Amino acid sequence: MKFKNKNLSDIYKSLLKDKEKLDIDALKRKYSSKDGLLTDAFNKISDIEKDKRAEYGKEANELKRHIEEILREKDSTVDTYTTKDKIDPTAPFDVNESLENRAKFLDRKGTKHPLTTEVEKWTDIFTSMGFDVLESRQIDDDYHMFESLNFPQGHPARDMYDTFWTEDGLILPAHTSTMQNRAIKLFGPPPIAVVLPGRCFRNEATDASHEHTFHQIEGIYIDKDVSLGNMIATIKEFLQTYLEADFEVKIQPAFFPFTEPDCEFVISCPFCEKSGCSVCGYSGWIELMGCGMIHPNVLRQAGIDPNTHSGFAWGFGLDRLLMIKKGISDIRNIRESNLNFLEQF
Amino acid sequence: MKVTTGILKSLTNIDASNEEIATYIKDHIGNVEYTHNLEKDYEGIVVAEIVEKEDHPDADKLGVYKINIGEEERVQIVAGDKTLQIGDKVAYIPPGHVVPISIYTEPEPFKIKSVKLRGVLSNGMLCSEKELNIGVNHDHVVRLPLDAPVGMSFAKYYNLDDFVIDIENKALTNRGDLFGIVGIARELSAVMHKKFESPKWYSNTKISISPDSSCLNLNVVNDAEALCPRYVAIAMDNIEIKESPIWLKSELIRLDIKPINNIIDITNYISALFGQPLHAFDYDKVAKEDPSRNDKVEINVRMGREGEEILGLDNKVHVLNDRVIVIADSIHPIAIAGVVGGKESSVDESTKRIIFESAMFDKNSVRRTSMALGIYTDSSTKFKHSLDAENCLPAILKAVELAKEIANGSVASEVIDIYTTPSEQRLVSIDIDRLNTHVGIHLEKDDVKRILESLEYDIDSSKGQFLTVRVPTWRKDVTIPEDIHEDIARIYGYGNIEIKLPQKDIKSKRKNRVFDLKKRVRNELSTLGLNEILTYSFTSLNSFKLCSLNPDLAYRVKNALSPELSTMRITLLQSILDKMKSNRERGFEEFGLFEINIPHINTYTDANLPKEDWHVASVINIMKDAKSSSSYYLAKRYVERILSIGNWKADYVLMADSLEQDIPEDIKCMLSMFDANVTAFIVIEKNIVGILGELKPSIKDRFKLEDSSCAFDINLNRLLDIKGMVKEYKDVPIYPTYSLDFCFNTHVDSRSADIERMIEKIINNQDLWGKVECIDIYIPKEEKGRKKITFRVVGSNYKKTVSEKDMQEISKKIKNSVEKEFDATLE
Repeated sequence: MKFKNKNLSDIYKSLLKDKEKLDIDALKRKYSSKDGLLTDAFNKISDIEKDKRAEYGKEANELKRHIEEILREKDSTVDTYTTKDKIDPTAPFDVNESLENRAKFLDRKGTKHPLTTEVEKWTDIFTSMGFDVLESRQIDDDYHMFESLNFPQGHPARDMYDTFWTEDGLILPAHTSTMQNRAIKLFGPPPIAVVLPGRCFRNEATDASHEHTFHQIEGIYIDKDVSLGNMIATIKEFLQTYLEADFEVKIQPAFFPFTEPDCEFVISCPFCEKSGCSVCGYSGWIELMGCGMIHPNVLRQAGIDPNTHSGFAWGFGLDRLLMIKKGISDIRNIRESNLNFLEQF
Repeated sequence: MKVTTGILKSLTNIDASNEEIATYIKDHIGNVEYTHNLEKDYEGIVVAEIVEKEDHPDADKLGVYKINIGEEERVQIVAGDKTLQIGDKVAYIPPGHVVPISIYTEPEPFKIKSVKLRGVLSNGMLCSEKELNIGVNHDHVVRLPLDAPVGMSFAKYYNLDDFVIDIENKALTNRGDLFGIVGIARELSAVMHKKFESPKWYSNTKISISPDSSCLNLNVVNDAEALCPRYVAIAMDNIEIKESPIWLKSELIRLDIKPINNIIDITNYISALFGQPLHAFDYDKVAKEDPSRNDKVEINVRMGREGEEILGLDNKVHVLNDRVIVIADSIHPIAIAGVVGGKESSVDESTKRIIFESAMFDKNSVRRTSMALGIYTDSSTKFKHSLDAENCLPAILKAVELAKEIANGSVASEVIDIYTTPSEQRLVSIDIDRLNTHVGIHLEKDDVKRILESLEYDIDSSKGQFLTVRVPTWRKDVTIPEDIHEDIARIYGYGNIEIKLPQKDIKSKRKNRVFDLKKRVRNELSTLGLNEILTYSFTSLNSFKLCSLNPDLAYRVKNALSPELSTMRITLLQSILDKMKSNRERGFEEFGLFEINIPHINTYTDANLPKEDWHVASVINIMKDAKSSSSYYLAKRYVERILSIGNWKADYVLMADSLEQDIPEDIKCMLSMFDANVTAFIVIEKNIVGILGELKPSIKDRFKLEDSSCAFDINLNRLLDIKGMVKEYKDVPIYPTYSLDFCFNTHVDSRSADIERMIEKIINNQDLWGKVECIDIYIPKEEKGRKKITFRVVGSNYKKTVSEKDMQEISKKIKNSVEKEFDATLE
């Protein structure tokens, strides 16, 4: 490689010498850093006679490529910059671009993610039933995830949630209930009706039916004289529209610190009409979600007087439902982003 | 929490089928994990008697037996145990039936066949304890008592014809009392309208025994009263350690607890039945190990000392600290309170004298210790769920009674009972009207009373619609009226609730604008051939290297599942690139992925929490030869379609030409991914709402993307925050339109949008209506530093047809203005 410009030629010669001697950081410092030799060489372009500038620029770029190549050999993660010319970002297409070569939208089947499609269906139905929509946070604090939900410090119920923590002591919510306190304050005073979809995290090893990342939809409803019977009716009303099927519903006892009474919402299996199939684990019934009457302490934390108002809440896992609906056998497919999977929706 | 219908029935008057009982539990108490008919495990297995015995002609280690199984014909068996004697009673599995333990240990249960063992036919098998799944011994064939009736089903003989119901522990988290079978029995009786009385010994709270033999020297000092509200201990002498009687072994086996010896079995049995963990120490070992005493035992409940060690029953040495409650002799710890006993003080075959312990420890302390030391025992599980200190005494008294009965023991000390903070009796008042409204039922006060009494609540007073009840001491979970509402609703039956939609005011709801915009963006991009993905918020540190990003801006996960999931992404592009690569490797060529989600940047925060703005980001790969133009313009087409959703009008500022200040953190953090000459910021009303363009060649390389690939990222929340997105309506003119093309030769740095805007101004006013579009850009080889841009102007007039003269005037105006402003000449 020969450089006509002496300065560039000198830099190139020293580079060949330093190539083996210096380590990557030293090389970067000497050549490509802010006050490195290469940057300096580029800045000197204004000192060059006008008619030689283009040639100089070309040579400087050539040198830059050499330096980058050497740096890349030293470290596979070093950056390279293009030698492309500046473009006019406001133009609709590049210069000298023939009509048929101009950028076109992709000619293939685009798709929405099946999980977001389900979220949209849910919120559409609940919106039609008069519910507000508020999406859940993905990093939250102990107060919203636990304390405001009647999980005192050291409560064994905290063990039910294998929570992820950040090094700064923040929490990756294990349920969308982390939004209850905010939602009540935001949409209060009652009547309050909100659905809260969101991404949740649980610290558990992944396999075909377990994921550390999943989607939940929470719902809360608060007013005067709200009953457990209202809850069953509301969820049933929704499910009938959503599943477009007939089924029986019932609730079973369960435990959550933030509801009292606390229940599990169960429907008769719409796939086998209670005769038992693989979807319902041959029991004829499918447990769909945790639910219950909002605990007075939770209402109090959000500034609602539990003596005058009551409400119900539910939390529903979407991933499992999606798997049942579409017959997806491995939960990991949902976030694997394999186009062969995505193209089917 | 395992129970069996057999044990439940023995404690109650209930009369229902196994399946009915399981359903009652599921519907009224807590979810059932599984049910299991234990009798099935023992199908075909019968009691047999050895009637003949001879050596195997061809194998020293095998014995050949003839056994009587209650049928006329004798059965020949070859067994590995040569010690069996004529007259011994054994358990026999006939061919065609399975070995019980193999049901749990093998993928396919092991079925017995008639086989020749070294030439001698063996028609079945004689089982060891282990094979029968009733103990751990596998050295020899189990000998049944001599009075065992020949030919009787083994399951019947051993009372294993029972039905196991496993209730989800999670459903009982707040119910310490239901970790004892008596608790479940009480609830079940209430559900089935049967009167339930706790067993007599259960309510035995008076100390009713005193030493009946040589007095042993036992003393207890509680130095951890705050965390140990009650400690009860008693010494017993003349203990004969041996196997438990079959009835006791059977109960344990049915509950999946391995029988060990009579004393240990007693503690496990009481604990299972009653929920109160018990522990037994070997008195002599404790006394012997204590160097400062002479044949005297002083038990000290205290906090651990930093660095103290104990060898646990789990055969591991545990290092203690001052946050752990320990039971100690005068110097050394002999147990970790509520969690695990010490090996060196444990009961074994040689034990003669014992100390029973029945205590109450703080649930949080036990939970912390259990988690910190990684020891999870039946005892620690029970203690962490709020037990009742009132139970300590009756439980130990029952243990003493059993030890007398089946271990020949005699009481050798007073009952030592240090009860510093007796549990308080709680009174809770409920309002029947509120109860009915809250649940959606219509119960009379008498119904409510009946249900509560069946759960052993005492009615304290009753006035009008109010009822004040005394909560049973074991119900630590009941503190407010709502807790009692749940009890009543559960026992009465959730199935009886009136299902009714809420009566609601008609109130219109405002749209969630971000949610709505996301939906529209998703629709738009998917219509334009892109595929939406959802990826993990977690990424690896290596991803930051590969994407040339600064990992210091990221939130780190303290308890990550793996290094690949240890860091929160700071831009969605990290995850999208990763998925682009894997799809490239699957052979896909031209495609684009987009995600709408929240990145987290630790310098982009709001009151200690990260600001959570929704971004839409995408990477698109197309196959084009390297020499073609910049793919920036492909990204721009997509971006403009997104902006058209809300009629946002953006300026695009080249990254290479802009200063780094004023760039919001969520965009700034990803600048290092982009190639500055072919990347621009999306600027609306001075806000940088996004970035689009080409990634650096090194990043394209690493993620297997073509040079002609592009990317963009837009902050949707910021976009929505910008006002003035409403485009003013302009009436459409009715007169014919004219069309004119202008080709300007201008400086190479002139921006086409700037010229466009100028022309737009000229062709739009009160009278004029017009549109302008750039249709060609060309850099002539012969002219350095110049480029030619062609615009097509289409216009009209609101009031009249545009004449030739008018057109000339418009052309002249455009020509003059553009030439003057942009160093241009009209060609």
